[in-house]
Parts: sequence; C-alpha cells; structure tokens
Amino acid sequence: MGVIGDDIHTVGNRIMQLALEESQLRVFNLRTRNRPESFVQAALEVNAHAVFVSSLNGEGEHWCADFRQRFIEIGLPDVVLYVGGNVVVGTRPEPEVVELFKGYGFDRVYHQRPDIGAAIADLFEDLRTQSDQREHRRGPSFA
Amino acid sequence: MAHPSLDGRLRSIDSQRQQVLAHPLARSLDILEVRNHLLAVPARRFPSIRYAERQAGVPLLQPRGGTPIFEDQLRLTKMLSDAGADFIPLTIDSCTRHNQYDTAGQLLRRSEEAGKAFLNGYPLVCHGYELTRELFKGLDKPVSLRHGTPDARLLVEMAIGSGIAEIEGGGLCYCLPYSEGFPLDRALLYWQYVDRICALYSTPDRPIHRESFGPLSATLVPPVVVLVVELCEMLLSAEQGVQSFALSFGQTGSFIQDVAMAQVMRKLARELLHEHGFEAMQTRLVYHQWMGQFPMDQPRAAALIAGSALLAGAIDADKVVVKTVDEALGVPRAEANAEAVDTVRYVLRTFGVPSGLDSPHILAEADLIESQARHVMDAIFALSGGAFWESVYRAFQMGWIDLPFSPHSDNAGRLVSMRDGNRSIRILDPGHLPIKQFDLDRERILLSTRVDNETKAYRRMLADISLMV
Repeated sequence: MGVIGDDIHTVGNRIMQLALEESQLRVFNLRTRNRPESFVQAALEVNAHAVFVSSLNGEGEHWCADFRQRFIEIGLPDVVLYVGGNVVVGTRPEPEVVELFKGYGFDRVYHQRPDIGAAIADLFEDLRTQSDQREHRRGPSFA
Repeated sequence: MAHPSLDGRLRSIDSQRQQVLAHPLARSLDILEVRNHLLAVPARRFPSIRYAERQAGVPLLQPRGGTPIFEDQLRLTKMLSDAGADFIPLTIDSCTRHNQYDTAGQLLRRSEEAGKAFLNGYPLVCHGYELTRELFKGLDKPVSLRHGTPDARLLVEMAIGSGIAEIEGGGLCYCLPYSEGFPLDRALLYWQYVDRICALYSTPDRPIHRESFGPLSATLVPPVVVLVVELCEMLLSAEQGVQSFALSFGQTGSFIQDVAMAQVMRKLARELLHEHGFEAMQTRLVYHQWMGQFPMDQPRAAALIAGSALLAGAIDADKVVVKTVDEALGVPRAEANAEAVDTVRYVLRTFGVPSGLDSPHILAEADLIESQARHVMDAIFALSGGAFWESVYRAFQMGWIDLPFSPHSDNAGRLVSMRDGNRSIRILDPGHLPIKQFDLDRERILLSTRVDNETKAYRRMLADISLMV
C-alpha cells in the first residue's frame, strides 16, 4: 500500500495501515510519494496478494493509467488492485470516476468514501475469489 | 552533555551567506540597504512592539493568506487589515517551500496570464523583495511569514529584505510535518542560519521575531511532543542570539488540555531560558485554532471558530491564528478570512473571558505533561556530544522525538495516541519516547476513562481525528 504521486497526505495512509493490520493482514507500507513502478516492484518483492493505492490531492488520475498493464508485464496479472481517497481533481460524479479507474484495471474504486471497513470486507471476499481462481488455473495439485 | 549555550552560536556565516545571496533571484540584495529599510519602516511592524501594547486577556489576531498574483495579495492585505487583523500574514506557496523556484516562476506566469491562482501561496522569492515591499507600504502592523520550508535561507533573506519582521518555522516544526525526505540534520543547520540572520538584523528596539509552529501534524499529537519540539526550537533560536520568540500550539480538542498546555509551556520556557543564561529572550504564546479536519458545513465551521476563540481568551494567548469557514474546502476566500477575524474579535470582546482558570483536573493534567516534558528534555540534555542541535538530531534518530502522522520517512512512527474521556490526547504506546513508567501508568489510567463501544482501534482513532466534524 502507499500514496501515489507527490502527495504527502499521510493520515489516511497510517490509519489504513493500522486498520489492515488489525484485520490480521500483513502490510507493507510504501507511505507517501510513490511512482507507479514502486508499487509494481514492491508487490513483486513481497509477493503481494493485493495492492492499495491512495491519492488525496487527486494526482491519482494522472499516475494510475495503465496500472494493471504494469502488473501483467511483470508477471503478476492476478494481484488485487484497489484505489481510494480523493482520486481525481475537482468534483466529478462517482460512477464516472469508478468507471475511469476500472478502465485502468482496478478491481475496486473508493472515491470519497469515508469508511475503510467496507474496503476491508471487500478485500477478504476478493482474496478468496483470487485464490480460487489461482487453484483453478493450476489444476488439482495431487493429479 | 550538550546543553544549549553561546558556544553553539554560528561564528561566521559570511561565506555561506555569500553563496545563498549569489542566487540570481536574490537580485543582489544589499544587507546594509535592508538594515536601513528595517529602520525606516513603522515601529509597529515589529511584533515585540505590537505585543507590548496588547491588553491582557485579549489575544492579538492573525489570519492566514497567500495568493500568487501581486495585485490579489495586495487586495488581501488591505482587506485583512481593514477587517481588524493585528498581524498580516504572507503565506508562501508549496513550490517555493520546496526550493523549486523555477516551477514557482512558471506557475506564477501562468496565474498572471490566466488571472487565476495556480499556486497555493505567494511566491516571494520569484516576486523579489523590492516588489514585496510595496505590498506593505504604509502598513503599521507586523507581517508574519507563514510557510513550511526545511531550507528557508534564501526565502527568509528575501522576507526580511521585504520588511517582514516575523519569521515562522524551525528545523523540526517545518521539516517533520511538511517533508517526506528532507534530511533533518540539514534542516536544523539551515534553520541555525535563519536564526542567526534574524539575530544579526535585530536591534534592541526592533528585534526580528521568530515563531515556532506547534501544531505540527495537527493530528493527535500528544502535548509532550509539542512541548519538547517548541522548547528545543526556542533554545536553538536563543543560541543564535534571537531576542524575541513565540512558542505555539494547536487547539488540542480538550478544554482541560489546552489550559494545562498553556500553563506548562509558559512555565518551562521561562525556566529553561533562565537555566541556560538566555533570560533576555522575550517569549510569547501563540494559539492556533483547530488545525485538524474541519466541518464542511459553514455554520458549523463558524461555530468551531467562535468556540475556539473563547479558548484562546481563556488561556490568555498573546496571539491567536484564526481559521475560516472555507477551511474544509481549500484556500480561503479573502471575504471568509475577513469574516473570521471579525467573528473572533466579536467573541473576545463580548465574553470578557476569565483567564487563570484552574481545577483539580487541569492541575493533574499540567502536572503530568510537565513531568513528561521535563523527563524528555533532561534526557536530550544528557546525550553525549558537543552541540545541542546534534543532541536534538540524535533524539529524533532514536525515536525520542516521534511525531504521530508525520510524512517524514525517518520519523520513528512508533508512538500511538488516542483521546480519553475528557477528549484529551493520551499516549497509548510511547514507542521510544523516554518517559517514566509512573507517567505512562497515569496515561493509561486516564485513557481508561474513555467509554465507547467500538472494538476496532482504527475506528476509535478515526473518530478521534474527526472529532470536530
């Protein structure tokens, strides 16, 4: 997880880390000011199941384009990708923002949603689906 | 042992100063000419003179404000002064704060062409000191430089050159909450330079005033952290010969803690200056209205501003830095800023707030935070080494100075805080903070006064942060 762009808004990042840890997840926090490649490299390094990207100043729109593509290129096509915060500059209807970021390859988009709890619940669900899919692709291990 | 002392004073800054002033944007600033300008401006431009005239129980008022285009800043300055602000702000844009003068220059031109702001403050270095003097022509109030710059050497040279006699900031308070990667040791050394030039430009009647920024990250910062940062910066400034200094803190969210904090900050500041031979330094106390998350709803924001004004009166702050109803929305409109000054003035005038409040709760709170602050300061003084600034730096490296929610990558980030039943900020996990077990136990007992049904700690913390929303 980390904040993207030159954004140094750190409060949400810290709370998110505490919330994820409290849900018994192992968190690797890149903290503030990250380029997209830092997320990709760190995900590879720690063998991440999910990547949380946040943006408060709205730089997200600029940096997140082709986000999924970068993970496919490095051999992590299945990693769960979440983005949240205040991800675009200015006021835009939420469905438009969600569609934009889903187009970038994100699984879930939380634009101006104050409750972290929903994202964590979604994450557990997505991780289960992800692990089923991986199993399915690999085939029965005892064949 | 590295106590603050005159030995810590920079001996000669001439060669460093030549380098700083060699920058093309310094526009061959002439130190002697600046000195003469400082003697020529009205005496009330100097905060110590304005503070001396203050009536007890009525804090002086200062809004915040900065906008890139010169004419807009001029209009803002007039509007704030007409609205009754006692101090006029000059808030600097983020690019200048990070020494990115080229970007600031480009965005300034773009702002001027488009007639709207592409910077979140006034790019003083790009505008230069000659033009900036024009902003304040005929003004007989102090102007305060508000920024957030780890390396403010050139900026402060330009500010003083413009006739600005109050410089906010410090190596700790303008690095840890504002920068992700600026090395703290360099920030401390660059702020020694700033303190030194403030001292060199000061005369006994017209001292350049320094102010520290106590709100820090403005998010659940326990009093002991604020006290230690403020006291260290005061002593670092005193070492360089600064004669007039303000310590500050941001509204904690707890009535009790605000009153206790003001008492302890005043007491320890006097005591430490006396102990280290800096009695001559004049100190003031500045209170920042709520610096955390603000309500979006304007009537609520106005109510928060009014309530906070009452507290500023109750602690008899020398100055209060006011917020606006636009706080949650972005950079405030000039009109909102003028309104806020009027609101605070109105509350202070109509309530006649009693100061010197006391109660067993306030006494207990003051005793606890005083004991913690003393313990940490003594631990810093006891560190081996030759210079006080190095001890401060080492204290940071060891996590003794640990700022919650700092974006700085070297900040320990181990200390965890939460509110108690009185809404006072308590230490849940001290991290490496060197406080006594007895004081930590007292923190835990007070923390147990909190009643809520929330099982997740992060939800409690979120509720604490959104306290005023």
